[in-house]
Amino acid sequence: MSPGLKFLAGGAFVALAIGYLALRGAAESWQYYLSVDEARAEAASLEGRRVRVSGRVVRGSLEIGTDRRQAAFDLSGDVDTLHVTCHCIVPDNLREDIEVVVEGSLAEGALSGNKVITRCASKYEAEAAAGRELAAGSAG
Amino acid sequence: MRILGECCLLVCLVTLGYSVFLTLAADSHRPSWRARLELWSTLLGFGGLSAVLAILAWALAVGDFSFRYVSSYTSQQLEWQYRLAALWVGQAGSLLLWAWLMSACALAVRFFNAAESSLQRTASGLVMFSVWFLVAVMVFAADPMQASLSTPQEGAGLSPLLQHPSMLIHPPVVFMAYALWAVPYALAIATLVDGRIDANWVRMARPWALAAWTLLGVGLLLGAQWAYQELGWGGYWGWDPVENGSLLPWLTGTALIHCLLAWRHSDTLKKTALALAIVTFALCNFATFLTRSGIFSSVHAFSESPIGWMFLAVMGCQVAAAVVLIVRRRTVILARSAFQHVLARETVILMSVFLLCLLAVIVMTGTLCVPLSTMFLGRTIQVGPEFYNSVLPPIGLSLLAAMAAVPLLRWGASPAAAHRRLLAICLLTGGACSLIAFALGMRNRIALVIVSVAIVTVATMIAEFVQNLRRRQRNSQGATAVGILRQGRRKYVAYVVHVGFAMVAIGITGSSLGTQRQEFTLSEGDAITWAGRQVRYDCLVQTELPKMLVAEAVLKVNRGDAPQVELRPARHLHLLQNEWTSEVAIHSTWRGDFYTILHAGLGDGRIVVTLVDNPLVNWIWIGGVVVTIGGFGAVLPTSRGRAAGSKPVANREVELDAAGDGRRSAAA
Repeated sequence: MSPGLKFLAGGAFVALAIGYLALRGAAESWQYYLSVDEARAEAASLEGRRVRVSGRVVRGSLEIGTDRRQAAFDLSGDVDTLHVTCHCIVPDNLREDIEVVVEGSLAEGALSGNKVITRCASKYEAEAAAGRELAAGSAG
Repeated sequence: MRILGECCLLVCLVTLGYSVFLTLAADSHRPSWRARLELWSTLLGFGGLSAVLAILAWALAVGDFSFRYVSSYTSQQLEWQYRLAALWVGQAGSLLLWAWLMSACALAVRFFNAAESSLQRTASGLVMFSVWFLVAVMVFAADPMQASLSTPQEGAGLSPLLQHPSMLIHPPVVFMAYALWAVPYALAIATLVDGRIDANWVRMARPWALAAWTLLGVGLLLGAQWAYQELGWGGYWGWDPVENGSLLPWLTGTALIHCLLAWRHSDTLKKTALALAIVTFALCNFATFLTRSGIFSSVHAFSESPIGWMFLAVMGCQVAAAVVLIVRRRTVILARSAFQHVLARETVILMSVFLLCLLAVIVMTGTLCVPLSTMFLGRTIQVGPEFYNSVLPPIGLSLLAAMAAVPLLRWGASPAAAHRRLLAICLLTGGACSLIAFALGMRNRIALVIVSVAIVTVATMIAEFVQNLRRRQRNSQGATAVGILRQGRRKYVAYVVHVGFAMVAIGITGSSLGTQRQEFTLSEGDAITWAGRQVRYDCLVQTELPKMLVAEAVLKVNRGDAPQVELRPARHLHLLQNEWTSEVAIHSTWRGDFYTILHAGLGDGRIVVTLVDNPLVNWIWIGGVVVTIGGFGAVLPTSRGRAAGSKPVANREVELDAAGDGRRSAAA
């Protein structure tokens, strides 16, 4: 076997081994990423499964526990809304009328979350959102 | 001033376009007036961009809210340093800064080395083309000089999370790195078009690639530190698409630097080096696409904008150009040497380059999982940190092992008997240290292996140095330790970088495997014992400042016989934005960080806090500083490099000899 072929075979073996590990990692950690409307439409089939749902916090719906360990709010999509209860440390910048992503599981038409990701740490403005002055900037 | 800025931007668009056309269309026998015109249009473009940048900086400094950009990102109450930092906070400002830095690089390429004028002129033209693209994006889609619809009395201010010292330097450093990566890319395209592909390209591309790599590393480190200190979650890396975007060019850039080394010393990995130079800059554009396309979910907020897709299109063109040119020149860039020995230095570099590229592919796959799954599976799927963490230990350990062995390996041959003996001694030393760590209570297998490999990395470096010193003293060459370090500066600086990485690996391993965190509700006077420390909560102090309300919890921390430490985790209410932020309090030692986060005051003096014990995390920052010092040390030219700087390298033996341990000594 020529040295070139040996290196090729070795490289292919390493790539396959690392690929296998990556697939195993993906199998352990993958989640459906859904909009509110998708989550509502598929709530029954996805019940009990870990999902991430993105939407906008409905004005007037946000309630945060005094110890900031739980929060409840409604997430709105294009046509539907989804009630969310979170049992986790609530991010400082969780507010009404902002985009959030909630990680958790669907049960009885609601989302029980244990992680809230807010989208305000850094931001490049959208021209489409003209008129809405944005208060934050990019981290680069 | 705003109108003047608009005019300058339009002048830049025209002059830079003209300069690119003249530069790329020019032949070496062009008349001198055309050469002067070409130069002056380039200088005019750079001057115009400098003027636009100065106008925006002035508007930010004085708070001229007639600029939409200024009113969007600053307020009258903002400190001056953050007003200026707002220059790179928004989309238009960051593009302007990037364009200006890149145009400065284009000029530097042009004047850096007159001996390679045709190649460098083409390269300068290609960099200027990238600048022209950015200016076009600004003119048509992200105008930094745009007027406010009506001039407001007060601006929206800067997000409190971005008011952190790291933000003053993190974005410009990253943009500087992106700008510098344009040069190896342009030199690669220029040399492929030109057809003269030799070691001169390595000599020209090396300092730019090293400077870009070092600065990008600094940028990543500063970003991680900002996340650690400001976001208040106790971690420093979240595998977020934006973080991954900057990591990708750093990974391929690391591979490129090693390819340059292999090309210089063993005439191998030439195609890979050229391809990586192009891919690395393409990935800088990809990172910009990630930030601006709006197709990713991230802690960094995105919104849909056509700008991201423009950068993706540019990246596609760059990669396509690379493929076409490399295929066209494949016979010219054939490696003259083959990989013959498994334990030769170039083989270990090949393996490292392969692993770095593999890691880049995996990070990119994970990052693109959302759009790819939507496109091909009809469902949107995300992968979590476990996806990346499952491949990081084997790849990281293999790379560390390569770093550990490399000082005792030779170019083009297996290690000599003396080197094999030294390698065995170093391995035994590493194993012994691992056993000591086990005896001291360390039980995690990965941690034990990392400790062992880190020790071997240091041991092989010392062994090689001592052996080199003794060999030269035996040969009556009157060598001193300082003389050897000076003569082989590039080599030893590279080893210092490797030691820095071993420290970073120890920090990452310790902080990933040994982190403990727990939430507590405490009343005034409560004392708890946790993670080997006694923590007493004294009181909650509330202060009213002009711009914010501050609530600080006073915690007294005792550990063994060490002096008592007072930590004051706080919550700030920023009055302008009506936004709360958590300000963590950290006690750092070389053994680790005690990290405290105040979540809420419950009334009656009760508080909710999270305590985090992060072992060895400081090793990451210190290792990063070591890597940075080594990186900048490698950029500085050697005395031989300076002497050879003005003329092309004619004889490969000169290059090999300059390395101090090249094939010539191997053959001897």
